[in-house]
Amino acid sequence: MLDATLTSALAAILPPSALLTAAEDTRPYECDGLTLYREQPGAVALPESEAQVVEILRLCHAARVPVVARGAGTSLSGGALPVASGVVLSLAKFRRIVAIDPVACTAIVEPGVRNLAISEAAAPYGLFYAPDPSSQIACSIGGNVAENAGGVHCLKYGLTVHNVRKVRAVLVTGEIVEFGADALDAPGYDLLALITGSEGLLAVITRITVKLLPKPQLAQVALAAFDDIEKAGAAVGAVIGAGIIPGGLEMMDREATRAVEQFVHADYPLDAAAVLLIEADGTPIEVAAEMAEIRSVLTASGATEIRVSENEAQRLLYWSGRKAAFPAVGRISPDYYCIDGTIPRAALPRVLTQIAAWSREFGLPCANVFHAGDGNLHPLILFDANKPGDKERTIEFGDRILEMCIEVGGTITGEHGVGVEKLRGMCAQFAPAALERFLAIKRAFDEHALLNPGKGVPTLARCAEFGAMHVHRGELRHPQLPRF
Amino acid sequence: MNTATEARARPPAAELATLTERLRHDYGERAVTTQAIREQHAHGEGLADAALPDIVVFPHSNEEVAAIVRTCNAARIPVIAFGVGTSLEGHVAALYGGVCLDLTQMNRVLEVNDADLDCRVQAGVTREQLNAELKGTGLFFPIDPGANATLGGMASTRASGTNAVRYGTMRENVLGLTVVTADGRIIRTGSRARKSSAGYDLTRLFVGSEGTLGIITEVQLRLYGLPEAISAAVCQFPDLKSAVDTVIVAMQLGIPVARIELLDDVQMEACIRYSQLTEFAPKPTLFFEFHGTQAGVREQAEMIESIASDHGGSSFQWATRAEERSRLWKARHNAYYAALALAPGKQGFATDACVPISRLTDCVLETQADVVATGLVAPIVGHVGDGNFHLVVLFDPADPEERGKAEALAARVSMRAIGMGGTCTGEHGIGVHKLEALRAEHGEAVSLMRSIKRALDPHDILNPGKTVPLD
Repeated sequence: MLDATLTSALAAILPPSALLTAAEDTRPYECDGLTLYREQPGAVALPESEAQVVEILRLCHAARVPVVARGAGTSLSGGALPVASGVVLSLAKFRRIVAIDPVACTAIVEPGVRNLAISEAAAPYGLFYAPDPSSQIACSIGGNVAENAGGVHCLKYGLTVHNVRKVRAVLVTGEIVEFGADALDAPGYDLLALITGSEGLLAVITRITVKLLPKPQLAQVALAAFDDIEKAGAAVGAVIGAGIIPGGLEMMDREATRAVEQFVHADYPLDAAAVLLIEADGTPIEVAAEMAEIRSVLTASGATEIRVSENEAQRLLYWSGRKAAFPAVGRISPDYYCIDGTIPRAALPRVLTQIAAWSREFGLPCANVFHAGDGNLHPLILFDANKPGDKERTIEFGDRILEMCIEVGGTITGEHGVGVEKLRGMCAQFAPAALERFLAIKRAFDEHALLNPGKGVPTLARCAEFGAMHVHRGELRHPQLPRF
Repeated sequence: MNTATEARARPPAAELATLTERLRHDYGERAVTTQAIREQHAHGEGLADAALPDIVVFPHSNEEVAAIVRTCNAARIPVIAFGVGTSLEGHVAALYGGVCLDLTQMNRVLEVNDADLDCRVQAGVTREQLNAELKGTGLFFPIDPGANATLGGMASTRASGTNAVRYGTMRENVLGLTVVTADGRIIRTGSRARKSSAGYDLTRLFVGSEGTLGIITEVQLRLYGLPEAISAAVCQFPDLKSAVDTVIVAMQLGIPVARIELLDDVQMEACIRYSQLTEFAPKPTLFFEFHGTQAGVREQAEMIESIASDHGGSSFQWATRAEERSRLWKARHNAYYAALALAPGKQGFATDACVPISRLTDCVLETQADVVATGLVAPIVGHVGDGNFHLVVLFDPADPEERGKAEALAARVSMRAIGMGGTCTGEHGIGVHKLEALRAEHGEAVSLMRSIKRALDPHDILNPGKTVPLD
């Protein structure tokens, strides 16, 4: 329950329908896409104007009450998990596309606008918004900025941080700040990059200017089958190493293709150990040239079969399996756990082979479906939470994968964020000196740690505890590693 | 908060003497206090505002940099990182004395990962050195600010250049860093993975921080495959508006041009004379470069040529051979000197405006009319594909009235750009010269920048007096 004085102060600035305090009303907000963690908030505020956001933050700041900003609640790392004594600040009513400027190729949008809605609104001008997380029909652009969301097209067109021009946000003290600029470069420290991916710990975003790109005239996808997962991994490196940056470069292993085939009937080659989906986009001449090159690299890499989409319907069909992979896996297993480690591409063959070995060792099936071109793994560990020991083994398996990602020079999260889920991994990835910088930046924005507390960056004390847990027979694991 | 004022004074002589003795002991001939070397490290390019460091040290490793910074932090003595001194806004002037860390002896390419299209270099490696070492790998590093700057310096100033329109700026091309923090610890930011959402984006925070938040000692860079085909073309226009409009249409269509440079009639005349580009007329001109497959390059060029022709542009004059291309781009890079040569005896400085591309025509045309009205010689040149352009303003240093006019013109260009939603620091950074402009552009954000500076450098020892106004 929220403090009564604060509740009535909030009630004075919000209409009754925009302030939820009863347990049955706040229940829908108790978790996000990571349902393993749940917490019921003290209250949920649903402001509809920036002035209300400012007031809510001022009141909560004065009362030292935590605030968790929330978009569409699709975070996969617990980024929007409420704090028991705190306020959830939902931006669901910030749904306006304020302006589209087809000459500057930008759109000004409110944070609650769905990712896909931006591309839909830009389509009449021949433009689109490039970052496309798989949840794009539901996730909101404010959440995308907070998490620095990725997607299939990010290989060629960049992550959210590369596709946002300007962000307007409210600091915990209620001041309004603009980060970035309408022009190419903003002077001074790159606060726009700092706010992007800050997981709601630094400010509450109220308005965003995104870049729009001209929609390519043509896109074609090649589907390549491999009889060996290591060869498929090596082919990814070979494509990029040949200087080709495809519009998308995704990989699915046999476990994944079999799951999706039952679901979408895309005619995937089911006996292949892995398939790659590689998209070329641009003008017809560019696409033809790039596709020819892709074909020759894939053949040289040992592809057993290559199909190239002949029309738009076929292209979408090939992609449908990739897009539907998560729900498809959800149908074949009671539970799954998605990992988001990212590695240098050249390490793909080795890491994939190791994951397969661990899968056998743990007796837990693992479907791999991921952004191969970025080296962004998404192993889906299949388990049954009702089976004793399954969950614990799943977490152990996941930890091993993430440790290996760090070991080969990668990161514990490519695009899903740290949230509550990967705090422990942060301690493994970053040395205390770096974690101290993170904490110093947090203090510079939010002295009393009221914005989304307990997420994103672990305290040093917490790392010390994890460290103690991780010392194995008196030894730190991988002591030789640079912890970055 | 009085840390800012504390640093206003030069370090006390006794403290300096102790430090100098210690650095000489530790680094021998690599710790230099001669007047000539100190003077050489007192300024970058651009308008001179030399301020001498007390000592220049040439470290060889991350650990040496960390040890020096630790000592300076304890003694509250300024530390200024120095590459090859090509920055333009007074970034490296030792305003309050202290130690200049010349990183040019940290000049090794540490690793090149062909399959991952990345490399790791020490901060003192220059971009030309890197590209020379990449020969034979089929890869290159595209960012080209004109000067043969160090990659550490380019990261620190978030450099861009003529091909940012295709490859982005250092913001897009630095994957990770090794940084020595103000308390002399070594941290690594980012990773070799192509993307990461772990923790705040320290990499981009340090990129462009001009040595005020940490000393960059190693840079992980993104590399690109050398394009199969490269060709350059020149197109001349009856007036400036047609040239700029051509650029805007090309950008809207998303044609992936590698470089587009605009030169107005005055600049073109200067280049014709200075670089013997006698085959061209002194008219508003666009230089293009195309990268891609043979077919792709041809297609891009045809699309642009037809847009240009709709706007009254001449047919393309091609430069497909490498030496012809380099002659053109050399002429472009020498634009500043060509402009100076228009009026021997005069001095010049470059303004740096960047506006949203939709306002580019307005901004350039208003600026040109402004120049004509002042009677000054100030040619326009710019990487217009990303809305960035420069005026080279010429003035007689002996004539205070003319100097005043020149400065007023530059100030109006800045305000015009800001008024159109742009910025007065498209790529040269803040240094000392643009502190006031930063304040004008970024009200509340400046106080956040200040908080970050204080959080990461509480004693204000890192390049004090730059980038963010502390008062």
